[in-house]
Amino acid sequence: MMNKRTPLQSVILYSLVLALVIFCVFPFLQILSTSLKHPIDWGNPSLIPRILHLDAYKELLGLMPPKEVDVPASIQRLLDNPALSAEKKQMLLAKFSSGGDVFPFGRYMLNTFVISFITGICSTFLASLAAYAIARLRFPAQSLMANGVLFVYMVGGVLLMVPLYQMSVNVGLASSAGGTILSLFLIYLIQTLPVAMYMLGNYFRTIPFSLEEAAMMDGCSRVEAFWRIIMPLSKPMLFTVFIYCFVIAWNEYLFASVFLKQYQDFQTLPLALQTLFTSKNAIWDRIMAASMLTLLPVVICFMLANRHLSGGLTDGGVKG
Amino acid sequence: MSSILVKNEAKLGLKLVAPAVGIIGLLVIYPILFNIYLSFFDVQLNGDKTFVGLDNYTDLLGNPRYYHSVGVSIVYLIGTVIGTTVLGLAAAVLMNQEFRFRNLARGLILLPYFAPVISVVFGWQFIFDPVNGIYNHVVVDVLHLTDTRENLIGNPDSALFVVILFDIWKHFPIAYLLLLAKLQSVPKDLYEAAAIDGQNAWGRFWHVTLPELRFVIATVVLLRIIWNLNRFEDVYLLAPNVETLPIFTYYQAFAGIVDQGGAAAISVIQLLVLVGLIWLYVRKVLKW
Repeated sequence: MMNKRTPLQSVILYSLVLALVIFCVFPFLQILSTSLKHPIDWGNPSLIPRILHLDAYKELLGLMPPKEVDVPASIQRLLDNPALSAEKKQMLLAKFSSGGDVFPFGRYMLNTFVISFITGICSTFLASLAAYAIARLRFPAQSLMANGVLFVYMVGGVLLMVPLYQMSVNVGLASSAGGTILSLFLIYLIQTLPVAMYMLGNYFRTIPFSLEEAAMMDGCSRVEAFWRIIMPLSKPMLFTVFIYCFVIAWNEYLFASVFLKQYQDFQTLPLALQTLFTSKNAIWDRIMAASMLTLLPVVICFMLANRHLSGGLTDGGVKG
Repeated sequence: MSSILVKNEAKLGLKLVAPAVGIIGLLVIYPILFNIYLSFFDVQLNGDKTFVGLDNYTDLLGNPRYYHSVGVSIVYLIGTVIGTTVLGLAAAVLMNQEFRFRNLARGLILLPYFAPVISVVFGWQFIFDPVNGIYNHVVVDVLHLTDTRENLIGNPDSALFVVILFDIWKHFPIAYLLLLAKLQSVPKDLYEAAAIDGQNAWGRFWHVTLPELRFVIATVVLLRIIWNLNRFEDVYLLAPNVETLPIFTYYQAFAGIVDQGGAAAISVIQLLVLVGLIWLYVRKVLKW
């Protein structure tokens, strides 16, 4: 601070910082390292793999060459028979290949991406309308709504899981795949809307009112002023809020597990990874590679949004 | 402003909030009330209900598993709240010093908070894995503290402490961010005055930093309790055998012998506690 540090103090400071950083980063290094290790190398405590082993990534990303199909001679003769249709041949071959064992990581990633992306867009859009109204316009029950938003956000998903599940059963949504996904989307919407409204409301209040006033003097309506002045000015914050909502949906496990258990094709990554992990043994390399691939988009997103996010987070209402 | 303009503004305002408030009303407020209603019924997964009066509540209050999970939740809350607050404070003080690579260090310590739970739990499980994990390697092979490799996560009692450590690791950055923001606004002359008074670094921390931060610390503690009371994913995905209240509720509602009415009753009780805490937060914290 004001006085120079002695060498001893410097050493202490740097070792404390280093200890803290290692504590934070070590699990990530562990994941990266294990994802690159060959199974025989797992017991090796060093983080550096003896041999670089990329099979786990290749398998997850579908880059593995298909395994040589080992077909008995009798079946081979059958296959050589020109009278057999190509379709039948495929079916026969499929019985001998191990294709059914592959974890459809790409599919789960796409599922998760689609639902998270739509959630993020819808939530940010609806929240920006509501947040603008609460921050700028005067209307009945306005302060009730402003406080209610925070309250609603703090009521966690666990408290709502039974009634929301029962509601979707009663309405008949839970009985079809489409209805289930719609239920899940609506649930993700309410899990993200309150925080999006809160963050955007705080941000809109920092934009000087004189900007809208000037636009309205020039003949813009209120809605036009919002659309042409406020929204473009808020682009970085809108992006940040979008990322935040996206990541909430990307991470969600509880409701995905309640609703998507029997719809395997539509499962999201958290649920699919958990199922993969509990159903098979000794697949650390694949699990860790899948973890890395789930992690990367999120970390990149947050790094992009970090500057605004830190400010938004410290306003206090954000989940953590 | 004329009254027509006021009216138009009110109309526009209501129009703009309507979609968001409608969805929240339908999918948060209504379910909260519906949950209270369900807690008086025996509820099946397919939606069938029979009225049972207060049976769900009396069953719950006579169920030792409920008290056990309340106990686990209390240990979890105490451990995580103290842990995240203390580590967050230490990190904030540390990162408020000037040193080389400070921006890099500040970025790196936010990583645990940003990372999706699902992609870090397996790393933590690997660390504590009895066969390959670094924890057992260090404890058994390097330090020779015990002779047998232990499965810390497999045993619910020790898993609770792993879960607490994991939560501290994952969530201290948010405490750190809140505390650092306040720390940066503490006037420098307060420290100078304290230095002139002959206070050493520890004295300055005790007499200047802590009193300046006390409201933020209280905020952090309250927010941690509120969030951790409902925390599900972080516990369940790392160690499903640690039965905090949310996990007990989940098992009641969706696993084994399904008792959705009972789960609704647990949620009602938990909601009452939560409403009390949020009320405290709104009244005390938001007024500061």
